[in-house]
This record gives sequence, C-alpha cells and structure tokens, in this order.
Amino acid sequence: MPTEATVSVPLEVYRFDPSKDKEPRYQSYRVDVAPHTPVLSVLLKVRAEIDPTLSLRYSCRSAICGSCAMQVNAKSRLACETPVGPEVARHGKIVVEPMRNQPVLRDLVVDQKVFWQKYERIEPHLKVDPRHPMPEGVVNPMTPAQVERFRETPRCIACAACFSACPAVSADPEFPGPMALAKLYRFVVDPRDAETQNRLVRIQTDGLWLCLRCHLCTEACPKDVRPSERIRDLKEMAIAVQGATEPGSRHAIAFEENLRTTGILNEFRLARETYGAAVVKELPQGLRIRRKKPELTKRPHPIDGADEVEKIYDALAPKEPPA
Amino acid sequence: MKLAYYPGCVAQESGKELDLATRWVCRALGIELVPFPNFSCCGSGFVDEANEVLNVAINARNLAIAERAGLDLLTICSTCTGMLTLANHRLADPTVKARVDGALKPLGIEYRGTTKVKHLLRVLVEDVGLTAVKAKVVRPLDGLQVGAFYGCHLLRPSDEMGWESGEEPHAFEDLLAAVGATPVYYRGRVMCCGFPIQFVKGDTASRIAGRQILDAKQHGADAMATPCPLCHISLDAYQNRAEKQVGQRLDLPVFHLPQVVGLALGATPEELGLARHLVPTGPAVAKIRGASSARSTASR
Repeated sequence: MPTEATVSVPLEVYRFDPSKDKEPRYQSYRVDVAPHTPVLSVLLKVRAEIDPTLSLRYSCRSAICGSCAMQVNAKSRLACETPVGPEVARHGKIVVEPMRNQPVLRDLVVDQKVFWQKYERIEPHLKVDPRHPMPEGVVNPMTPAQVERFRETPRCIACAACFSACPAVSADPEFPGPMALAKLYRFVVDPRDAETQNRLVRIQTDGLWLCLRCHLCTEACPKDVRPSERIRDLKEMAIAVQGATEPGSRHAIAFEENLRTTGILNEFRLARETYGAAVVKELPQGLRIRRKKPELTKRPHPIDGADEVEKIYDALAPKEPPA
Repeated sequence: MKLAYYPGCVAQESGKELDLATRWVCRALGIELVPFPNFSCCGSGFVDEANEVLNVAINARNLAIAERAGLDLLTICSTCTGMLTLANHRLADPTVKARVDGALKPLGIEYRGTTKVKHLLRVLVEDVGLTAVKAKVVRPLDGLQVGAFYGCHLLRPSDEMGWESGEEPHAFEDLLAAVGATPVYYRGRVMCCGFPIQFVKGDTASRIAGRQILDAKQHGADAMATPCPLCHISLDAYQNRAEKQVGQRLDLPVFHLPQVVGLALGATPEELGLARHLVPTGPAVAKIRGASSARSTASR
C-alpha cells in the first residue's frame, strides 16, 4: 500500500526476446517506493519480487560504471541516478525502454558492438612520436593551461546515453557518435600526442560534419561531458589545420565569408559557394522554392554599419593575403 | 511592451511570411517592435563552427546595439536565439571578453551584458501571458490538431538557454492550447529538423526531417508549427525531399509560430503570408471549426 512517504509507481517496461517474440511488448507493473528511489532499484525490486525473467544490465549502482543507461520516459538516462518521484509527477507513469540506436538483445539489454567499433575507430590511445618516445620512468607534467584544454572530456564513463539520444547516429551509419568524438577531442588536445594533425585531417572526412549540433547528447550525458561543444571545437580545429576539404567545412567557411562585407546572409551566394559546380543539381529545387519565395535569389541590402562588421572580421578573422 | 526586433536573415529574405506574421501578432498584442537596420546576421551556427570568437564578437555587437537603446531583444528564430544567448554566456569568460573587446572597442562599441534575448514564444508565455493572449482570441482554432516542433536551439543546451526543459518542454503546447488548438505530443517535437547538415549530406538531413514529420502525422497532427524559419525550410520547403527519404507522401502543412497565433487572433491568410508555403496550408485552415464563416468575416 502506498503511504504518505511512498509513491505508487506505474511502470511500463519494454520486453522483447528476439529468439521467441515476434515483436516487443510493454509489461505493466506497479511498485510502491519512496519518491527518491532510483529507477534501477525499482526494476531490481520487480525482478526480485515479481518477475525474475526481466533482463537488464547494471553493476555499481553509483553512476560510475555506466552500465545501466536506458530510456526513462523517452530520455536516455542512467537508471541508477534517476529518481522515480519527478518522473511520476511529470508523466503519471514510468516507461522504461532499452537505449536507442543499438539492437536489442533482450528486454533492456542492447548489443553495444557498433558503439564500441566507432570508439575503436578514433584510435583512443596516445600516439607518441616513435622518434621521441616518452622516457621510461620520467614524469611528464602538463601545465595547468594544458590540462584545462581537456575540459570535461575525461569524465566520460562510456555509458552510451549520448549515442542513444543522437538523431545523427540513427539517421546515418557514417556518424561516429558524440562519445567517440568527445574522446577524439581528448586525444587531439593532449600535448603528448604526436598525431593531432592527422587525427583532425582524418575525422573531417570520417563523419565529423554530420553532427547536427542539436545538443541532445549534452542533455543526456550524466557526467556533463558536453560532447556537442567538443565537436564544435574539433570542427574549428580541423578547419584551422586543413581549411575547406569537404562539404561541411566548405559550408562553414562560405558562411563566414558571406557576411564579411555586408553583415547579412546572401542565401543564393551561399548555395553557389558551398555546392560549387554541383549547384546545378540543386537548381530544380531552388526554382521550385523561388516560385513561392522570390527573395531567394535577390541580393539583400547590406546592413547599416556593415563596415563595423568588416572591421571585426579584420581583427578576428583577417583575410589571408592572396598567394 | 517595447522590444528590439531581431528578425534574423531568413525572415527578411525567403521566410518573409514569418516577419509579416510576427509584426501582425505583435501589433495585435500591443508589443512595440523597434527596428535596428544595423543588426547583423547571428552567424547561424556555421560561423561558430569556423571561428567561435568571431561569432561571439558579431553577436556582442548586436547585443550592444540593443543595450545602447536600453531594450531587450526579441528573436523569431531558434538559431538566432541560441547564438545570441550563447554569446552572452561565452562573454562571461574573461579571456573571450578581452579578445572581443579588442575588436569592438576601437569601433566605439561597448558590450556590458545587460540585454536579455527572448524568443517570441517566451515573450508570449512569460511576458504577455497566456491569459492575455487567450483574451484576444476571436477565432479559436477548435478542431485543429497541431504538433509543436521545437527543434533544438530554442531549448538546448538547456543550462545556457535557461528556461524550458531541453527534452520535455511544454511552453509551445500551452500556447497552442491557449489559442484553442489541440496540441499533439510526439517524440520528434524536440528532435532536430536536419537543417544544419542540409548542405553537408542532403539525404541524411531530409531523412531526419521526414522522421519528425511522419511522427507528428502518425500522432494525428493536421499541421506542425515551428518557432524557427530554418526548421521551416527543412520541414516545408524541403518536405518533397523528406517524402523521398521516408518513402511516403507526407503532405503536412507547417505553420510558423506567429501564423498559428495570428489565425486565432483574426488575421487573414493573406496577412500571414500563408500562400508562400510550399505545402499548402488550406486543408489545415479548413479544419478549424467554423472556419468558412470566419474566413468570410475576415474578408469582409
């Protein structure tokens, strides 16, 4: 019976055994617990007292191991640190589902193979220059400023909550995912790593620019790693190393230059410069839109004070002298 | 109420209907919009990718313009809202501030950080208030099921945007209910529209857009409504491409936020620029109970 100090939690738990079931189903349970009880504890109570067949993955119960990431009312969360009270207050129930973007092995347990493959692909280890190996037994201290550049990335516990929340991961197999890119950032800024430039060059054509900067990863991350912001940093560093090499960096640079002298976006010019000769393929769509929106191909008036914008550009993004 | 009006580039160009509808709604609700022809583009997230400090500096200039006039800033685009708000946050870092000041001070521009950036949705919900909006409704949108599409930058990163939940917002649905529409709840409402990678990999971008439109439709939406003209491009102007990616006809009209409010407050479709959409909005407008009589009243 629920008492004043407890909340009666209506649970709807995703159940699926691909070896037996044709399709997944949602099983309802009701458990009375204190409002601060984590979702994980409620699931373990269900398994211990009601239904021993429920499969889930967990270990430390202290938000350190990253094992119990799952979807709680459609949000990717660590079940061990998500209290039931606010969820029931907001939704009237708790729907528990496995993480997204990974195939379900059984119930709440997913196959993390692809997640780890993408992580391996960024080569998540220090690559020291073989000509200058770190001498055995010698401490190699970093300056505080160098440590500062790691930002929040060492906090990552690889729980894959960001991977589950990411719409680019679900729409395109070429996207490495937020966690792999945040880890890549961590090695790119490591002063001991000798492969910084190569790493940046490689990632430019290896999915970096498929990030939508939707920040859903940053919302989902239980450790506040803020992957979307580190992906932004990687983009700027990649451009600094290599300039425009593929559509993403070409578009960012074309956009930057688009505003330099006028202060306002010229939509038509942007398309022309991003697509280059391939803009021809975009013409039918452009004409279709222009029938309703004739401004599409008009050149906008420069803003008042466009010279101020140009001077800000001169100070912070000086034009390179022509070669 | 008097606010510095920051329409952003798209609403002054191919998304002109958003500007029309905003002006109509603000006039009806007594919000005075002060234009500043010297506002520049916010950089749309792309300049931020190429050069973060430059992006902060051009937005510091925009913020300083409103600050000099002693006004808060009204935005009607999620990306503009995000970029201007993030500039305010990044300028709290003394290193960033020093570099930006180095570029602005020689021009006699001073950024102090007192201007708030508020999207129209937030102004309607927090400052005008839903009771006041409701009181002005002359044609409740009875019978119209609308899927609010928040997109990303109005909400996230939520620590910086600082008003709604980044994953479970409700302000837009509250507004829709206040003007008599029935809000449709669907998962895609807080997802991305795909726009940022439209130029990078169009098929992936359109697949992402298509999934959200399909999600809204499968949850019973007669139309979507968006607070962002960039989302509008993805969802409306590129809906034909989204259809190809999800392999089915979608045909779902997409309103700009002030168009939905304007309809309820008595504006005609012409006054809201509805004919400028790629997916016709007529079928959705016709679903409003008593729509035909309302239309004839409006045209008289």
